[in-house]
Amino acid sequence: MLHGASAMLGASVLADSAVEHYRGSFDNPGMYTPLVVSAVTMAAGIDGASGQWLPRRMRDGMYALSGAVGAIGVGFHTYNVLRRPGGLNWLNAFYAAPIGAPAALSLAGAIGLAADEIAETSHPDRLKLFGIPVGRALSAFTALGLMGTVSEAGLMHFRGSFQNPFMWLPVSLPPIAAALTAKAAIEPAGERDGRPMTRSWLWLTSAMGIAGVGFHAFGVSRAMGGWRNWSQNVVDGPPLPAPPSFSALAIAALAALRLRDLEDA
Amino acid sequence: MSTSASPHDPVTPRAKDGRAPDVFVPDGWVPMRCHADTEEVDFAIVGAGAGGATLAARLAEKGFSVVCFDAGPYWRPLEDFASDELAQEMLYWTDPRITGGADPIALAGNNCGKGVGGSTVHFSMVSLRFRPEWFKSRSKLGYGYDWPVTYEEIAPYYDQAERALSISGPVKYPWGPPRGPYPYRPHEVNAPGLILGRAADRMGIKWCSTPLATVSAPHGKSPPCVYRGYCHYGCSTNAKQSALVVWAARAVKAGAEIRDMAMVGQVETSADGARATGVRYHREGEWRVQKARNVVVSGYAIETPRLLLNSATPKHPNGLANSSGCVGAYLTTQSGPGVWATFEEDIRWSKGPPNMAVTEHWNYTDEGKDFHGGYAFMSQGPLAREWGQNLATSRGLWGEDLQRGMADYNHTMGFVPVGEVEPRACNTVTLVDDEFDQYGLKIPKVTFSYSDNDKRLIEHSVKFMGHMLDAAGGRDQWRNDDTSHLLGTCRMGDDPRTSVVNADGRSWDIPNLWVCDGSLFATTGGVNPSLTIQALALRCADRIESLARRGEL
Ligand SMILES: Cc1cc2nc3c(=O)[nH]c(=O)nc-3n(C[C@H](O)[C@H](O)[C@H](O)COP(=O)(O)OP(=O)(O)OC[C@H]3O[C@@H](n4cnc5c(N)ncnc54)[C@H](O)[C@@H]3O)c2cc1C
Ligand code: SF4
Repeated sequence: MLHGASAMLGASVLADSAVEHYRGSFDNPGMYTPLVVSAVTMAAGIDGASGQWLPRRMRDGMYALSGAVGAIGVGFHTYNVLRRPGGLNWLNAFYAAPIGAPAALSLAGAIGLAADEIAETSHPDRLKLFGIPVGRALSAFTALGLMGTVSEAGLMHFRGSFQNPFMWLPVSLPPIAAALTAKAAIEPAGERDGRPMTRSWLWLTSAMGIAGVGFHAFGVSRAMGGWRNWSQNVVDGPPLPAPPSFSALAIAALAALRLRDLEDA
Repeated sequence: MSTSASPHDPVTPRAKDGRAPDVFVPDGWVPMRCHADTEEVDFAIVGAGAGGATLAARLAEKGFSVVCFDAGPYWRPLEDFASDELAQEMLYWTDPRITGGADPIALAGNNCGKGVGGSTVHFSMVSLRFRPEWFKSRSKLGYGYDWPVTYEEIAPYYDQAERALSISGPVKYPWGPPRGPYPYRPHEVNAPGLILGRAADRMGIKWCSTPLATVSAPHGKSPPCVYRGYCHYGCSTNAKQSALVVWAARAVKAGAEIRDMAMVGQVETSADGARATGVRYHREGEWRVQKARNVVVSGYAIETPRLLLNSATPKHPNGLANSSGCVGAYLTTQSGPGVWATFEEDIRWSKGPPNMAVTEHWNYTDEGKDFHGGYAFMSQGPLAREWGQNLATSRGLWGEDLQRGMADYNHTMGFVPVGEVEPRACNTVTLVDDEFDQYGLKIPKVTFSYSDNDKRLIEHSVKFMGHMLDAAGGRDQWRNDDTSHLLGTCRMGDDPRTSVVNADGRSWDIPNLWVCDGSLFATTGGVNPSLTIQALALRCADRIESLARRGEL
């Protein structure tokens, strides 16, 4: 499940960065990097979730690469914003390289690494990440990831003036799911009710991520020429691949909850 | 007027028989309430531009019966507007006019539109507010004239206009009283705009993305702007929030009748001269008279005074509403000298709306000036044909030189200000007694000269914009001279002896005759006027409603 989430995030980053960097005409050769790396992450995720044909060390190498490249990407994007006229302001936040976007690659890598770590042990309930029980650590991590994605969607939907009321969904549903997941990360052991509330919000968030593709497709249809002019409007309209990152993170959070249950048991 | 390239036949009206074009649907129609000439309507409005269409929409929404006349066509942007600059000259008011004075103003495309939506059909969409002090520039800044309204009275109508037009602008506007974000977010600034930003950053002055009346995200049936830069030739996507797309559509929906291809020749008055009784207009080859309880003239700063002067009667020998002698006087424009330079980098300045970044530094800074007044300036983005014409006529390039100049097109960039011009009685719109247009109406003569103060402002702006281009790394600078908007020929005031109308746009002489357009401006300030024109129209509608309630119409 965690490998699957990694693959899904990788796919979302691949499609999104392909469209966005194509829009930026691959001005800097470094702009090809996330395409390659997210494809690698996706492959690692698929491999991890299905047959595991690759040796674990290799898969982990791929995940680690993803984590590192994401971090470097954040650096590049920050540099891109700061060197533009006006520096750090709303205009550049809207239209310069999105600072937070590459972090999704790091998330995908980290989730993948954790997945392999867990698969290795026969006692996942005793496994620790950074000295923290793995279920708690992953819950906290995915809650943070969700909130990061919420801020990105919030910024972009603000740029779109929340012109359609449904644009409020990704800034209202996932924060609740993230808060509940964060609660699961820190609450004392022994809550053994299976956290139905948290799970439902996470499923809702994950469904919303899929529905988001439909909303974005509708957005594309409202641009001049609509879908008949897809080659321009898919590039300039709302990004079709972006919303599923919510689904990927929600699924990772659901997996983390399962580990939390084991830890509580 | 060359209209052969347009699918629209320029004589036959479209808005009649109970329907008007639906601007959002090719070949589509919307139902329109129509009135007989003999039916005395509450308001006959002359001109369906920024002032007239806005007022028509609001009055109809308040339940008044309204007929709004326009001399030009009811455009269908999706079908009529071609990506062809020459064919699109059909949008301009090109009826015969004479221009004179020491600094004659170039008329037509530069400043006047003809057709529903008026000049906003081909305007640049820059939507700025007045600096608050300008409404009282005599008392607060020591020059020009005071308006009979304050910024505080107009501010709510600025808000209303900005919302109605979904203005896309900065989250935080750097000048003027603090206020919230614009209704829509700013557009991505194009390369010439970013050069303005780079220069401003280096010179330590503020700049921002220009608030524009074209949407950065879908709004109703308007798609977001596609940044193709044809804005001066009519927007064929309807992203531009012109008076045609916003107000005329709202007016028809609320029950107003818009009569296109209907040129008003006279405002009719009662025998005793005390009241306006309707308008005489030319449509489908004949003169007719529409009866009305109130007449509003909204033909812009040349046609409005011309119509009032052309409506003279023995009771009003100098023209209607003209006991002050101010009808046609105090004509102002805004100075627009351009400074241009060539850059190493690839700019492609025709991409996007023409003015994507602005600085109002010299509107809000009073120190360091050897003149009264202010100016804003913006990054530019002319299309290639327009630029070629500028190189040939202003820079005098021809033959191989012109070819070389045009080869630099994508590496060129420049600034043009909107410079405040002093309102002076000697700058006028008058009638030419022995020349007539196609309707047999006396044609207008426009006389204009800059004052010494105007010239000092122009030189200051040219020098400053030159420093900016230097700071950004431009070379081979050169300048040209131009003007933009026309304002002020029926100015509002507190005193019937020195103004044509009061703060509501109601004429001092004839209580049911109103003016609602750019000719109301007592001073021009250093910003483009359309947002202020629309704010004044919105206020006028509210005032009319409360006057009507009190039985004072
Ligand atoms: C190229 C260009 C760029 C511009 N850019 C900007 C900008 O970026 N920002 C800004 O704020 N302003 C801009 N303006 C100015 C702005 O468009 C005008 O100031 C504004 O539209 C004037 O409004 P109005 O109602 O006074 O007249 P208009 O909008 O011109 O409307 C007048 C209407 O009255 C009609 N009419 C006139 N006389 C008669 C008659 N006798 N009978 C019937 N109909 C008649 C005309 O056909 C016309 O449609 C620009 C103008 C031009 C030309
Ligand atoms: S650049 Fe935008 S506003 Fe201008 S004509 Fe094109 S779509 Fe219309």
